[in-house]
Amino acid sequence: MSDFSNDELMTVLLARELRDGDLAVTGASSLVPVAACLLAQRMHAPNLTLITPAGVVNPKPKRLYQSASDGRWVEGAEALGTAYDLFEMSENGRLDVMFYGGVQIDRRGNINLTGTGYDADGHPRFRGPGLANTSFAVVSKRILLFSAAHTRRTFVDNVEFLTAAGHLGGPGEREKLGIMTEGPVLCVTPLVTFEFDKEKCMQVRSIHPGVDPRDVIENTGFVLRDASWPITAVPTSDELSILRRFVDTSGELAG
Amino acid sequence: MVSTNILWSKLMRMTAIEENRDTPARRSKLTSLDDALAHVGPGQLVALGGLWFHNNPCAAVRALARRKVRDLRIVAAPPSSYVVDLLIGAGCVAQATVGHVSFEHLGFAPNFRRAAQQGSVRIVDADEATILGGLMATVEHLDSHPVTSVKGTDIGRSAAAPRNDAGVVAPVALRPDVCLLHAQEADIYGNVRNLGTSFCDPLFAKASKRVIVTVDRIIGNSEIRAQPNRTTIPGYLVDAVVEAPFGAHPCSSHGIHVHDELGIGAYIKAGASVDTWRRDYLGPYVDKPESLEEYVQLVGGANWILALSEVVR
Repeated sequence: MSDFSNDELMTVLLARELRDGDLAVTGASSLVPVAACLLAQRMHAPNLTLITPAGVVNPKPKRLYQSASDGRWVEGAEALGTAYDLFEMSENGRLDVMFYGGVQIDRRGNINLTGTGYDADGHPRFRGPGLANTSFAVVSKRILLFSAAHTRRTFVDNVEFLTAAGHLGGPGEREKLGIMTEGPVLCVTPLVTFEFDKEKCMQVRSIHPGVDPRDVIENTGFVLRDASWPITAVPTSDELSILRRFVDTSGELAG
Repeated sequence: MVSTNILWSKLMRMTAIEENRDTPARRSKLTSLDDALAHVGPGQLVALGGLWFHNNPCAAVRALARRKVRDLRIVAAPPSSYVVDLLIGAGCVAQATVGHVSFEHLGFAPNFRRAAQQGSVRIVDADEATILGGLMATVEHLDSHPVTSVKGTDIGRSAAAPRNDAGVVAPVALRPDVCLLHAQEADIYGNVRNLGTSFCDPLFAKASKRVIVTVDRIIGNSEIRAQPNRTTIPGYLVDAVVEAPFGAHPCSSHGIHVHDELGIGAYIKAGASVDTWRRDYLGPYVDKPESLEEYVQLVGGANWILALSEVVR
């Protein structure tokens, strides 16, 4: 057994992808990405700006709160925006990083949060929660995907409802619609970190320590090229200690 | 620190505070929930404020459900939760224009899910750009408001996202007949303060024909005047103010109390089937309490709600 949880591992891996000066926005059920931003600010990205879905700018919470819009994120923040401030970014861009998870995520990084199993009348057998902001998938300079579940139900060939745009049908499809941003660049799961190849298909960039490659193949609903993947660099003691001492002081991610 | 200066003796006060003056008295907008909601009826478009399970106008929505209003069209803040799900579960809704509806890490919205899966409520898939675009069309006095960022998705094919002549998604003006908001403080003239995020609420207030705000506490006009920069919705936009301490429960009221995880958990559990929903939630928590005070006692009392921040993760 490792001495860190899946959530802690995913937090550290996402934090490493954030750059100094990034403006990052998080969504619902996003404790891992929020913690990643707060960790990155304390490690290598002091000029990163974090905006939560309630419009809280640069929160400095005493601990992590499970709900992304909990009122306790407000205390100690630098500014408090409204839905209109998010709308401004939805249209003007401005943000560098958006995080998305999905009920389904397909091999092109497209997101479905709306529903599965649609019948002829358009009623889903499973209705998902939906998504408050789909525009950030269009205007954010890059998208970091994450998923707490790594199963065939989550990682599918094609999403049944396209809630937020990944690489759509493949290379050049975003550009055809006038979308000039990079789109999804990676996806972190409890088993692997995915990246996108030249064909804009998800491939394993690295497999987390102790994970059997067969489990990855069996639990991924699309074809993966080869299985001789490098091992993910585990969280350093520095990363873990800063995460636990300054960000996740009450052990919400320790699970 | 949570506030403790909510005086229960002031609950549901309906008359203006007398002020010494020799000019004609200014009209108070303080009223009861039932009077404020008296004109909400079938076919109307009702806007619901807050975001997720925070700052929701819960007491107002339970009062609407008790009145058995039918065939409402609703539009909610792009991330929504309890108020959408409860109105659907109470059978009040014909059409819902919504982005995200859930209880986030606590669970799915049971009545919304069931209605969407069975087709008993028309769900118009929307998101922030299409809902705010529609509201902005109204406040800018336009027929529609183009949003250039809705691209490549199936949301862009929904009824909330028609295209204009240039092929750009341009949601048509959303003009709610009434909007229901919950804030923390207001004076009797409708000057409102949000102690946390106001999120969509000021925009809903500007776009709606009639604006009803429940607040945890009524404060004096002199308090408002002492710090006018803290007014988030000025009184000229507001038609009715209702004093409703803990009117956002089981959702949070930013700056006063956090959400009630146990209460929301019980809500979600009750929503598992139509029968359990009626028996375990709609009956005991919506229909039965004869006042907000009785509801608050039923869910554990004021002190319990104010202490939730110590137990809610």
